[in-house]
Amino acid sequence: MQTVPRRIYYLFSPFLRIFHWVMVDTIIVMFLTGILIGKPPEIMNLEPAQTMLLIDIIRKLHFLAAFIFCASLILRVYGFIINRGDRVFPRFWEGHFYAETVDVALHYRLLKKPHKCYLRNPLARMSYAFLYVLVTIEIFTGFAMYAMTNPFGIGGTLFGWVNVVLGGEMMTHLVHHYVAWGIILFATGHLYMVTRAEFMEGESEVSSMFAGSKILVHEPVDANEVLEPDKV
Amino acid sequence: MDKRESMWEAYLRRGLSRRSFLKGCVALTSLMGLSTDMVSKVVEAAETKPLPVVIWLHGHECTGCDESFIRSASPLASDLVLTNIALEYDHLLSAGQGEPFEHHLEATVQKYWGQYILAVEGAVATSDNGIYCMSGGKPFVDTLQRVAKGAAAIIAYGTCAVSGGIQAAKPNPTGSGGVSHYVGTKQVINVPGCPPIPEVMTGVVMHVALFGKLPTLDSENRPRQFYGNRIHDTCYRRPFFDAGMFADRYDDAGAKAGWCLYRLGCRGPETYNSCGNLRWYQGMSYPIQSGAACIGCSNAHFWDEGMSFSDRLPKYGPLGDIDTIGVAAAIATTAGVAIHGAASVIQRQKREEEEAREQGEHK
Repeated sequence: MQTVPRRIYYLFSPFLRIFHWVMVDTIIVMFLTGILIGKPPEIMNLEPAQTMLLIDIIRKLHFLAAFIFCASLILRVYGFIINRGDRVFPRFWEGHFYAETVDVALHYRLLKKPHKCYLRNPLARMSYAFLYVLVTIEIFTGFAMYAMTNPFGIGGTLFGWVNVVLGGEMMTHLVHHYVAWGIILFATGHLYMVTRAEFMEGESEVSSMFAGSKILVHEPVDANEVLEPDKV
Repeated sequence: MDKRESMWEAYLRRGLSRRSFLKGCVALTSLMGLSTDMVSKVVEAAETKPLPVVIWLHGHECTGCDESFIRSASPLASDLVLTNIALEYDHLLSAGQGEPFEHHLEATVQKYWGQYILAVEGAVATSDNGIYCMSGGKPFVDTLQRVAKGAAAIIAYGTCAVSGGIQAAKPNPTGSGGVSHYVGTKQVINVPGCPPIPEVMTGVVMHVALFGKLPTLDSENRPRQFYGNRIHDTCYRRPFFDAGMFADRYDDAGAKAGWCLYRLGCRGPETYNSCGNLRWYQGMSYPIQSGAACIGCSNAHFWDEGMSFSDRLPKYGPLGDIDTIGVAAAIATTAGVAIHGAASVIQRQKREEEEAREQGEHK
């Protein structure tokens, strides 16, 4: 019987993983409730007393999901601080980043045969950075609308400027709504890419988000980022 | 005209009673959005402070704000103009006209330099040296800048004076803009609205007149007591929003029953004004109460949001709004990844076949 040597690369701390799955759940909730808030369902021929304050409940679910999301973001930051594997920011400052990006992009366009393997490839890193930009916009525009019920409270002071910068609160609504669609499009692509990497290329993309480690046959080129320097 | 009388003296001269003076003070206190324990301070100020000199300039506008102002019921605009302030220059309300009238403006500016309140209505037209808005033979922008230099306080009445108004709508051929951009570093009190609520207009000028200082302003320099709430948060139709009961057209059962106008593009959730609580014309009504969705007339650039007043999202012709485009994009993305997945599988199968063939040859 042939044995294949494999190596375990510990990558994602529990904090990142909890955040990731909380993010998945809350984004689904926020997207669905958000669409309903934008275009509320019609409840005809009913007395207000019989509607159970439907839109009110939908809005509260949206806010609840948003607060849970923001709270779990704190875990993500903590993981970033304590664990090297959680740091997936694209390394723009390293020269080989650009050549590697082209390499991976050609591979994904099915133009290039098997490429070098990465624990976190540069395109994936860039897409995550992009997602964090979208999420940050959502957080700021979201709180700008939420807090302005009392423009002179703490929330209004912290986030009220967003409405001024965007040129009016209607614009804040629109930006929030448009960017939400951007996140959904990202999620579709992300889901496909990780599934593909898991089942076609032997990269433990999906399983590592549950287990935290990748068990790989090949040696990834960016392994030195997560391993102790003397163990590489 | 040298000794300026106080509000109390103006009442005395007109033979009005102490009782009506105190009633006027109480009305003023509540109009300025102050609590009732401030009445004594208001009375004190009204007894001792000389009537404030007010210069009221009109720029690039429709005089709609004046139309609103003269409908102020408490205090009556006539009371305000005749006994509460010393209105020295106003195109609409002054009896004087022609050259003597323009000379009077210069005389007033010189005499009360640094003391008068400047109220401005209308946008400032700046293109081609400001010739699109001439007043008294001079570009309005020049007059404004000259008069503003000596003003103790500047009040911008109406959305035009605050942010340019409809004149500043794209492509803005006259180069119109709000007053605050053209008066240097001077603090401007913004009182937006198209027009502002009458009692808000009188309340703000009385606040400045009686206390000699600006009311508390928000981040957009609007008086906090009048622009501190969204119309949506003070709307009497809000329970219908929470319950999910909406009008879909202006002639359906929901509209008839007075349900929420959110789906008809009501800008109440984005608009800060006192329409919901103060309402118009002695609390008689306001646009939403009369069955029309709010258009957000006190918002800067409300006319340039890229969509109709009856829409909540901009529509892109046959593509529809962002939700339709988003669904289409999501379907396209899903189809795209499905094709990509299938192509990846085919590519790998071919590659494996090739490798198997190569290995066969090597053997």
